[in-house]
Parts: sequence; C-alpha cells; structure tokens
Amino acid sequence: MSLLSLVFANPMMLAALVALPAIWWLLRLTPPRPVTEAFPPLRILASVLRREETPSKSPWWLTLLRMLMAAAVILAIADPVLNPRANTLSTTGPLVLVIDNSWATAPDWERRVNTADALISDAESRDLPVSILFTADREHNATPTSPDEARNRLAAAAPQPLTPDRKAAFTVLSTALKGTTPGTVAFISDGVASGENDVMTDLASLSPTELRLIGGSPEAVAITTSANEADAMIISVSRLDTSGARMLPLTAYDIRGRAIANGSVSFNAGEGTAKGMIAAPFELRNDFSRIGIDGQATAGGTYLLDDGFRRRRVALLSGETRDQSQPLLSPLYYINRALAPYADLVQPNEADLAVAIPELLSQKPSMLIMADIGRLPEETYGPIGKWIDNGGTLIRFAGPRLAAAPANDPLVPVTLRQGERALGGALSWAEPQPLADYPAQSPFAGMPRPEGILVKRQVLAEPTADLTARTWASLADGTPLVTTKTQGAGRIILFHVSAEATWSNLPISGAFVEMLRRSVQLSRSGGVASEGAPKGQTLAPYRLLNANGVLVGETARARPLEPRTDAAPVADADHPPGLYGSEEGFTALNLLAPNTELKPIATEGLDVAYTSEPLLGAETVSLKPALFTIALMLALIDTLVVLFMAGTFSRIRLSGAAAAVAFIAAISVATMLPDVSRADDSKPGDENILARLDKTHLAYVVTGEADVDRISERGLAGLTDFLTYRTTLEPGPPVGLDIARDELSFYSLIYWPVSANAPMPSPQAISRVDAYMRAGGTVLFDTRDQFNSLSGGASSSPNAERLQAILADLDIPPLEPVPADNVLTKSFYLLSSFPGRYAGSPLWIEAHPDNGTEDTGRPARTGDGVSPIMITGNDLAGAWAIDANGAPLLPTVPPDEMQREYAFRAGVNIMMYMLTGNYKADQVHIPALLERLGQ
Amino acid sequence: MASIGHIVERTPSGEVLSRAQMRARLIPDCMVEAKRIANTVISGWHGRRKRGIGENFWQFRPYSDGESLTRIDWRRSARDDHTYVRDREWEAAHTIWLWADLSPSMMYKSRFGSVSKESRALVLMLALAEILARSGERIGCPGVMEPLSARNAAERLAAALMHTPLSGGLPETGMIRGWSDLVLIGDFLDPADKIMARLGPLARRGFRGHVVEIADPAEETFPYAGRTEFTDPETGDKLTAGRAEILREDYRRAYFARRDALGADLRHMGWTFTPHRTDHLASEALVAVHMYLSGMPARATHGGQL
Repeated sequence: MSLLSLVFANPMMLAALVALPAIWWLLRLTPPRPVTEAFPPLRILASVLRREETPSKSPWWLTLLRMLMAAAVILAIADPVLNPRANTLSTTGPLVLVIDNSWATAPDWERRVNTADALISDAESRDLPVSILFTADREHNATPTSPDEARNRLAAAAPQPLTPDRKAAFTVLSTALKGTTPGTVAFISDGVASGENDVMTDLASLSPTELRLIGGSPEAVAITTSANEADAMIISVSRLDTSGARMLPLTAYDIRGRAIANGSVSFNAGEGTAKGMIAAPFELRNDFSRIGIDGQATAGGTYLLDDGFRRRRVALLSGETRDQSQPLLSPLYYINRALAPYADLVQPNEADLAVAIPELLSQKPSMLIMADIGRLPEETYGPIGKWIDNGGTLIRFAGPRLAAAPANDPLVPVTLRQGERALGGALSWAEPQPLADYPAQSPFAGMPRPEGILVKRQVLAEPTADLTARTWASLADGTPLVTTKTQGAGRIILFHVSAEATWSNLPISGAFVEMLRRSVQLSRSGGVASEGAPKGQTLAPYRLLNANGVLVGETARARPLEPRTDAAPVADADHPPGLYGSEEGFTALNLLAPNTELKPIATEGLDVAYTSEPLLGAETVSLKPALFTIALMLALIDTLVVLFMAGTFSRIRLSGAAAAVAFIAAISVATMLPDVSRADDSKPGDENILARLDKTHLAYVVTGEADVDRISERGLAGLTDFLTYRTTLEPGPPVGLDIARDELSFYSLIYWPVSANAPMPSPQAISRVDAYMRAGGTVLFDTRDQFNSLSGGASSSPNAERLQAILADLDIPPLEPVPADNVLTKSFYLLSSFPGRYAGSPLWIEAHPDNGTEDTGRPARTGDGVSPIMITGNDLAGAWAIDANGAPLLPTVPPDEMQREYAFRAGVNIMMYMLTGNYKADQVHIPALLERLGQ
Repeated sequence: MASIGHIVERTPSGEVLSRAQMRARLIPDCMVEAKRIANTVISGWHGRRKRGIGENFWQFRPYSDGESLTRIDWRRSARDDHTYVRDREWEAAHTIWLWADLSPSMMYKSRFGSVSKESRALVLMLALAEILARSGERIGCPGVMEPLSARNAAERLAAALMHTPLSGGLPETGMIRGWSDLVLIGDFLDPADKIMARLGPLARRGFRGHVVEIADPAEETFPYAGRTEFTDPETGDKLTAGRAEILREDYRRAYFARRDALGADLRHMGWTFTPHRTDHLASEALVAVHMYLSGMPARATHGGQL
C-alpha cells in the first residue's frame, strides 16, 4: 500500500474538465451587470466620460478564479480518495477474526465494526469461511461460518463493560478449528493486556499464514481506586499510552447524575499511573456517587462509589440531663461539636432511658454513643445487644457513673476495674499522662501523636491476654485509653475518659474530633435495625454500568453479588460492574480491581511474524470535502470581488463608518457601565436600626398618656445625664417605644410606666414583650403607687391591677424583693433600697432558685443571667425627671434631695446590672480572693 | 440596489394648483415695479406711486399757471386763499408671460429631492400666476393662454394647461407684443449656446426675461458609484460608467461650468437667472423671482446659491 495513492471514485466526471476552456470563454464575455439609472443631464456626463473606464470583459485573474472554482467542483464530484484499502487476505484457510469487545473498545466500536466488516467483505470476495469470536462475551462460538452469518454476528455484538477473557476465547477457537490451519488471523484488539501476556503467542500457535494485530486504543484510561482523604478525594488513574505528559479532567457526580465537583489528574511523561484529586468539602463528598474522566465514556473511566461514603446516623445518650444553660459541662456537647459536620446526630426526647433507647434504636442509627452511663435499664440490654450483633457500633465514654458501675456490664469491650484512677493531685505521685503513639492495628494509626493532651483520670481495664490487640490508643505508661471489641457484626468501643473536659483535655483537642470521625467511618452505613437477622447475604443487581460508563437499570443477565469477607468481589461476566443492593443501601462493584495498571499487549520477543495495522477509517481520506470547501471559499472570494467591482463597498462606506462608530460606542458603553447587579439587601428602616446600634439607648414604653410619656422621657434623660456624669456608660438620648411595632431587641432595659388610664396593650404587643424577655431583655415595670404594695390584694391600685392584667399574659418567673445579697445592691453603688419619688415599695426581681449549697457568708450570690423583669411602685422616672436646665421636675415624697440622689443611684445600679450581669457578682468576690491569697 | 433617480408621471394640474395657492399664500401681496412703457393697452388698477392717470387720490398741489382750469379742485381751494389741483395716482397694468418646460427630462425625481422637477416647475408657475393676478397683472402663457387680467388667473391658467399641455422646448413667442416680462421655468440642460440662440432674439425684442433653472439634487451632486448605466429620458441614449464615483468631480465641474456660463450670458442680456433645487423650498425660488419682477435685484441669489 503506497502512502500517496490517489483513486477517483467517479473517474467519469473528470471528462467534464474538457469543458473548462468553454467556461473560460463564457466567463470572459460576461461583465458584471450595471445598475440602471435614469439621468437627464446625460449630455454633460457624456462630455466627461472616458471610454476606458468601462471594461466589457472580466479581468483575467477573476476569470482564473472562476476557472479554479469550476475545476474544484468537478474534481470534488469525481471524489478522489487517498490511500484506498486493498484486499490482501490469505486464501490458504478460513479467516479468523478475534475481536476484543471489552470496555476500552466502546469509544471507537463503530470503527472496529467497520474494520471487521471490511475484512469479512474481503473474505466474501475470496469465498473464504469466517470464524468470528468476541473475547469479552460470555459464550464463544468460533466455528467457521459463511461471511453473511459472520456479518450478522458482528452486527449483534456490542462492547461489554468487562475485561476480555482471551484465554477462554482462545480455547474455544482452537477446538473449533479442529486442526484446520487458518489463512489470516486478524486480532482486532483493544491493546490492553488482561493478565495474560501470551495472547499473541497463542494466536501464532495456530500457525496461520498471516497474523494481523489490528487496532489498539492508546487513549484508554481507567480509574482504579479512590480514597476519601481528609480534605479531598484521591483518585488513582492508569493509562495505556505512557508517552507524553497528559492532563485529564475529573468530574464527580451525585446519585442523580449531576456534576457537583471537579478535579484533574496529571500524568508525567513516561508514567502509566497518576493520582488525581477532587477537592471538595466533606459534606459535598458525601454526595459523590460516581467519578468519571471527562471525555472517556467507558466503563473503565467511570468509578462508582457506594454509600460507604455516606453520612452515618449517630444516636447520642447521656446519663445526665443537665441544664443546657451550662453546655460546657455537658458531656454530649463536645461529641456534638465534633461529629456534627460528619454525621447526622439524633438525641432522645425522653430523659427516661427505658423509653429513650428503643426510640433511638427504632431510628436505625449506625452508631450509638453513650456518655457516662453506668447502668442501663434491664430491659434495654437485649435490644442493644441485638443491634450490635446486627452491625451497630456502640461508643461509650467513661465517667463517674461508669466507674461506679458493677463489673459485669456486657456492653463494655474489656472488664473494668471498679473505681477510677486519678493521675496527679494531692494524694498521688503519678503525673497526668500524655498519649502514646497509636498502635499499628488501630484505625487511628497514621494520625500524629497529639501533643499536650494530658489524662488526669481514667477507668482501668483488667489486664487480659488480648488487651493489647484490642487497644486502639493508650497512655504513655501503657494503660489503654481506647479499647474495642467486635460483637457479632458490630463493635463496642470504650473511651476510658469522660467525654467532657473534667478527666482529661482530650475532648477539647483536635485529636478527639479525628478519633471520633474515624470511628464513625468504621461503622456500617445505611442504618442497623435491632430486630431480625443481619442483612441479606446476597445483593441483587440494582444499577449496572454499560460499556459507555452509563448506569442503566438493565440487570437481566447479572447475578446477585455474594459479599465475601476474605476478598473484594471482582467484576466478571456474571457480575458486571455496577451497584448491587437496593435503593436504601448498595455496594459498588467496579470494573478494575484496585491498583490495576493498564499495560499494552506484549509483542516484544515474539518469534512469530505479524503485521500491525491501524483500524479502518483513519487513513482512507476522501478529498471531496476539502475540494468542496476550496470551491466554496473561491466562490466567496469571487462574490466579494464582484461586489467590490460593482462599487457596493463605496456605496455603503458612509453607513459602514457610522455602524463602526456605533459598534465602538456600544462596546465602550458596555464596558464602562457600572456594575449595577450587586445585591442590594437594604430594607426600609435600616437607617433607623443603624442609628440605634452605635450607642446604648435607654428606652421607655410610650403609653399614650402625654404627661406620663413626658415624665418617662425626661426621667430617662435625667438618668442618662447622671450615667454620663458618674460612670463610663454614656448612653444616647432616650427612646420612646411603641411595643406593638418597634424593634425591641436593641435595648437592654425597657422602662414601662404602668398607667391604668392608658389603653391596654394588644395581645400581640404583649407577646412581643414576652419574646423580648425570653431573648434576654429586661422590662422595668413601674406602677408609681408606693402606697399600695404589690401584694396588697383587694386594696391594690388601678395601676397595680393593670400591671396584673399585663403580667397575666406574660411567662414570668417567680418573683421576690431584691435580697440583700443580690448583685443589684452592689453593681455600682452599695444600696440597701431602691427609692424613686416614693420610698416605700420594694423592687421585685426574679427569685433566684435557692439550691442550698451557697455559702451564706458570701457578699453576693452568684447566678447566671439577669432578671428578665423588675417591678417597682416607686415612680423612678418621676425622681429622675429633670427639665432642660437640669432642675428636677417633680418633688420627691417626702421632699428629700438625698432620696432623689438614691433614686439616681438605684438607676445606675439597675443599668450596671443590666449591662454587666453576673460579671459584677464575680467582682464582688475580689476582696475575698485577695484575702485568701494573703495579700 | 434601487436606483437613485427615476422618471415620474406627469403631475395633475389640479393638485399643482392647490399646492401653488398654498405656496402663494406665503408671499406678501406686493406690486410689480413696471417699467415705464409708454402705451399700455389696458389701464389696470395698479398704483405706480406716481402722479398720473388713475382713479385714486394721490396729492393736492398748488395750481401753477398754464394748467387746465378744469383740474382745479374747488372744494379744497375754497378753504383758504390758494388754489389747489387734485392729482391722481397713475395706475397701470403689466403683462407677464409665464412658461414652464415640461419635457420628459423634467419628469425626473431622485430620492434626494422631495418632488419631481416638473412638479416643482408647475408649482412655481402657478404660484407666480396667483401672486401676479392678485396684484392685477395680466397673466399669459405662450401657446396656452392669452394674457388676461383676472383674480382667478391662476385657476384659469391651470384649466388651460389641462386642455393644452405644455410641450417641450422653448415657447413660440410670435404672439408676444410690446414690453412684457417673460418668466421661463425649466431645467435648461441643453448646451448653453443652443439656449442662448433661442433666447437672444427675445431679448433683442425688448422682453425682460427671468429664467428659473430647476435641478434635481442628484444632478448636482452626482451620488452614483460603481458600475452604472445612465439613460437619457429625452433621447433614450444609454451610457455605461464602469466606476461612476471617479466621474463625480469631472461631472460636477462640467455641470457648474454650464450653469455659470448660462447665468453669465443671461445677465449679460439683462435677464435674471435663478437656479433652484427641488430639495429646497419652492418659496425660495418664488421669492427670488418675485423680487426680480418687482425690480429689486436679488442680492443673495447670484451664483445659484439661494
């Protein structure tokens, strides 16, 4: 086959080239058609018209251009073909076609079929029988048949998402030939060696007259492994053609086939394997279900992920139901914070464990974490044990309760000694212990040894022979810190320290997060039920990959997958790659075993002669499209020339210039346009909010009574002045609030003068006040009637009745008069009473729950938060109220300026209490602390 | 590509009349300054702002010896000691011949002009007729209408034109007698020599002539480009230019040279020459011609730039 042989498919058309001179003559005669114009002053025009300006014939080069165009069209119709095929089949025996229909043949399957079809046609023309077989098929039939039959079987064949089984195919072939010597053996190969190196040797052993190796797919690339690392998915990719550096994009798809992350893999020149990376947040990586190489739509270029990567559901149990207001002391707090990014956490609604545990198990968690639970209700041991047998993972944390629990607890991995071991402290010589390196068999192996973690207290395991093997982490002195035990299909893990920071500082270290995360990854995904047998032994095919790397529901020919514990399953004809299981949970079976490398078929050192050919269709080039393209280009050039000669461009020059100017203007305007698409999330009223945020403002409720509101406003203005003068707090001007509409959350204290004459606030407004108080705000109610105490009962004033009506809708805690040791009496001034214009009424605040443990000798009671409500009848605002000159507006009762001073001090104390909370309570301890320190 | 200019249909006289009257309304009613022509056939009611034969009072002046006593105005003379004579204003009518060239070359309109040349010529002619008739002049059209003095002379001229369409070429002027004004409207695309050969005898006969040359903008600016075949609407001659744009300068030079030569010759004879383009307002040419007719030289109208 010569390289530059040229054959015309329709050589008769070349006769039309004879007509070219006639075309030349015709073209020379035809000038372009002029535009006809009526023109009355023709005689004047005729006097200036020069005859040579009107060529009646086309210029020679234009004619030549048109001649070339005509010649190109004629040649194109004649259809010249470069490098035609030639029939070179050997006629000494049947044609043997061995065709790889493995995964790597999927992209160019059509060309392989065409190649085989051409060979079959050759055999047909030479009247040879054809033996055709496909290496990746389940059954082989290599009996030589007629070319028609072979063509039918070729048309029926399709690429399979499998590796070829050439050994089996060759066995069938050699028996089918029964000693007949084949003429030509053509092996249309995918080029990938599949375990055996001697396929060419095998074929040569048939001693054919001619052995051809056709094809190969140097583009073949396959994903072999993927690993979910800490911050990215690492993907191992292997390629066949190792020459040259190459970069391939990777895309991760979710279960619905949407591309959700991208990465890339780069091969260095000469390397057959490389590791790529898809960096994505962990939450996003949870959703990966398939990874593909862009542009490589093959089963090998697709890697399926099962739900082993999914988030687990983790149930949390704690022995102590502590107040959530002190979360740092709750053992579940650290577990919650550590696992929330990696797992779905469920917590029981019931404190009663006998109810809570079945409720949790009914949600089929993958993992159950029990923090410091010493003893479970008797009836819950059965379900938990069953759940672990079915594959559940139980993690326990030690604590005072577990340390005190009896030793026969079935749900601990090791036998525990009663009581805990304290390291360090007054009565111990031992120092707090750091962690040792993680043992090699531990899943924590590979993590760096955490520095700075000290364990001060732990529970101890009774030493047993296999204790070391079951230890995942230990202290520097060798005592186990994390032990484990498998039970049934599940596992129990015990952390020998408590889950909060009292026994060690492990829970507040990063190592804790990583240890919990790895433990969670060990647990079985997809949920574990506590009833029934463990999950089914065989997994039915759910979705299968086809050769093009697409998941299809066609599962008829696949058999259920039997999970084996000793070895990973391998894809074969009975178990094609795909997803096995059901919609709830499935296992991915990938085409290539982990760390497979694609290697070309070994042909070196063969002692048989063979010829190597590329596939058909690449080198037989038809010149027809190129010639037609040339003709079209010439026609375009001719059109432009004719238009130019007819003066079209000079006619449209002006408008063209205008269009160019408009175009440039549009471009410049478009580029200079300001970026107006910025998100604008401002809302009406934002400027009011911002005005309130820069400074603290005192606020009062506008009752609707003008004089009451004026006294409130002036009173708070007076207090503002006093605060500015006496303290570092410099509030802004007081603000009157409409509690039904205004935003309340900017103010720490709202002064509410209760007036029976004012309209009753609506239930919605009271609900807003209630929400404000829940969110940490405080309302100071002032009934301004010192003569009637709040407990006055029947003799209560109208204002007090109105206050009771308001409070009836509010969720208020129990109240008490300010005790002598409350922070309010000490937050700025030392006060014993809180007078206003009147001095009689006490100041009522939220009653502090007396738990009896407090030392009554302390100067102030500690307590968290501030009282959400204060009630007084002393008309505080009346005492504070000043006019514009700073002179008081209202006299005190009795008229005593000291009482007014005390009223201001009471206001300062209330504001300090509002703004500082229990910080001031701590401050009052300072003298005692200093005294204790001996200074 | 659509051609730039085309031949239009002949414009109906009725439509032209209405447009001409509209146009004439724009012109103030003014007098034509007539030359002293010794024997005017018909005495018109056309004040000459001179003492003379007429009906309207002009002035009282003292009686001088030798005058006819019958001319003394006794009523006025009785009011004081002098004797007065009543003078009347001299009133005279003037004959103006209007003529428009309606040859096929006038039936041309390009897309740069608003109307065809023929339409513009008819409008100008009828507008002049309207104005002049309003001031009592006698209007005539050679070969179409005998001179007549009537308020509705323009309408009658239009009606006459409907019955006797104007033919091409310069008019037969045998019937014109005496000292008359002659207004010629046309495109005058013939060579200047030929035109002057026709007009020269008229000037020598004592007519005062006013020539209005109507031109289409396309004829002046020559906006053609590319390969173009030009056709003469009168003779049907064809002429093909390979690249018309390179002819533009030469053509414009020749065109304006012809116009300047024609204008110079006419002014040399004492006639006036008014070039007019159809993309300009018709009233511009109307005002210019009217000024000439009134005896005022149009200062800004020389050189064809209105």
